[in-house]
Amino acid sequence: MGEIWQGLVEACKLIARLDPYVLKVTAFTLYVCSIATLAGMVLGIPLGALLALYRFPGRKLLVTLVNAGMGLPPVVVGLFVYLLLNRRGPLGFLGWLYTPRAIILAELVLAFPLVAGITMAALQDVDPRLMLQLRSLGAGRVRAALTLMRERRLSLLAAVIAGFGGVISEVGAAMMVGGNLMLHGQPYTRTLTTALVLEVSRGESVRAIALGMILLGITLLLVWILTMVQQGSLVGRAFRAAFGSPAGGPGREGP
Amino acid sequence: MRTALVAEGLGHSYGGKEVLRVGRLEVREGEVTAIVGPNGAGKSTLLRLMALLEAPGQGEIIFWDGSRLSAMSRRDRRRISRDIAVVFQDPLLLGRTVWKNLEYGLRVRGVPREERAKRVGDMLDRLGLRHLAGRHASTLSGGEAGKVSIGRAMVLDPKLLLLDEPLSNLDLSSRREILRLISEMVRERGITAVYVSHDHHEVLEIADRMAVLLDGELVQEGRPDEVFRHPASERVAAFLGAENLLDGRVTGNTGDGVAVSVGRAEVYAAADFPVGERVKVMVHPEEVVLLPPGEGSGSARNRLVARVADLRELGGVARVRLDCGFPLTAHVTRTSCRELGLRPGATVLAAFKATSVHLMPYSSKKYEEADDGTGWSGALRDGEGR
Repeated sequence: MGEIWQGLVEACKLIARLDPYVLKVTAFTLYVCSIATLAGMVLGIPLGALLALYRFPGRKLLVTLVNAGMGLPPVVVGLFVYLLLNRRGPLGFLGWLYTPRAIILAELVLAFPLVAGITMAALQDVDPRLMLQLRSLGAGRVRAALTLMRERRLSLLAAVIAGFGGVISEVGAAMMVGGNLMLHGQPYTRTLTTALVLEVSRGESVRAIALGMILLGITLLLVWILTMVQQGSLVGRAFRAAFGSPAGGPGREGP
Repeated sequence: MRTALVAEGLGHSYGGKEVLRVGRLEVREGEVTAIVGPNGAGKSTLLRLMALLEAPGQGEIIFWDGSRLSAMSRRDRRRISRDIAVVFQDPLLLGRTVWKNLEYGLRVRGVPREERAKRVGDMLDRLGLRHLAGRHASTLSGGEAGKVSIGRAMVLDPKLLLLDEPLSNLDLSSRREILRLISEMVRERGITAVYVSHDHHEVLEIADRMAVLLDGELVQEGRPDEVFRHPASERVAAFLGAENLLDGRVTGNTGDGVAVSVGRAEVYAAADFPVGERVKVMVHPEEVVLLPPGEGSGSARNRLVARVADLRELGGVARVRLDCGFPLTAHVTRTSCRELGLRPGATVLAAFKATSVHLMPYSSKKYEEADDGTGWSGALRDGEGR
């Protein structure tokens, strides 16, 4: 027990000292996961909206794929991306394996179905007659879909946070296609999770605990923001203001 | 009078089941046409087809400018649908302020900012909701939300306004207020409207014409008072809540009227049916006059001695159930009720004109009568009283 306590204290000191290695790994992780989540939004939100609001041939298959994608084991995704990107694979010519791009691609494959699936569920929840009402007020299909998304923006935010949370906490895919590499003494494809696994295997429990605390901190922060937004607290109101506020005085609305 | 829309031979099915068959329906410009029918009769489907929100399985819709649904380019379609606004059963407001809800259709149409502000502002004043401009839609009462929903459609100055039971989820007082609002605004702005409803009171209040839809079929069309007075069939009469619907057989035809045996009595009707034919007989309860027994005067062709079976006061009117050889319901004022000393068991003279009796072809099927609260004769009286 004493050992764990000591480890915690040392880890806190490490973070407080702004240990450059820990900071760099953290920064790299945030960078990779943000880009993957962003790309996941760009692809996932329109797909989710399409699946929720329109009926077309092949829709059921796509819905099944998205739902299956939400539960994909990260290691399998890693393997799949590895097979695509290795030198003899179909995308081997890109030379992406063991680069940050490979990690981004793998994390994207993980985040995208999560975002698409939650977006779909959120928009399917909307009264179908609202779509009809918007169309009857003159909105085209795309405009009406955008309006509905705005109506459900909190759920869409949840979709994004779920996507981000999914990719920041996974280790298998990042390890397999990134390789947990350092280049010239800098983390090159080393994320918080892969670094943590390495430190544990080396017996460097202080660093491992520090990395773990940071990871936990980021996750808790995300959950906290989401809760606040959903429960409509002060922070939530600030967030909603940033995302387009439904509240507003007559002064702002009136001519 | 010009027509705003003509539907011809419209048919529509869902999953192989036919839900709509409309021979011809004309919506005249500047008028309010009510489409009435029980739930599931296809009213809302018909409305969605007219709103271009759904394509009919078959048939044609011709719009005010002569453009036909069957031969409509995307551009025409867009142009036409921009002149149509729809109000649905629920307000279906967006999670924004009242102002932004009213503004939505104008924004989508690319109306410039200043004009939007003016039109929305005027609409708020017209609705009497200026003080709620900045309120979030989710905080509105049912009546307020209903008004915003109407305003959101009206602010577009549509050529054709389609209303799908806009009052059905409101309480009675908001219902009255919003019905008046719709009625006034439609006439102020010269909007052509189609009003779907299953409530006779609403129809009499607002409609210039009405069309009755039963089981997807358009069975009668005409002026509301005309339809209520002379339903085309027993089904229509039953749906409209007619109170005295009786079976009879024609026993004599004098050329200007017929004698019909009903129960143990005989009534005279200003109608023309061959002798021996079975008919449905309808007597308008508010046109039955009750007199003291033995009263000699009066011009009514039908004079029957009746026994009061039951008496109930409904607001200003009393509904008297009589037995005069057949069950007959009469609506009389409370005053005359008192003057005649009506009570169960009393004997009176029930008198009504031959023109108060409406005959319809007989059909063996049994139709459920509407419940008393929505009785159409009461509705007629309300309509006349206003």
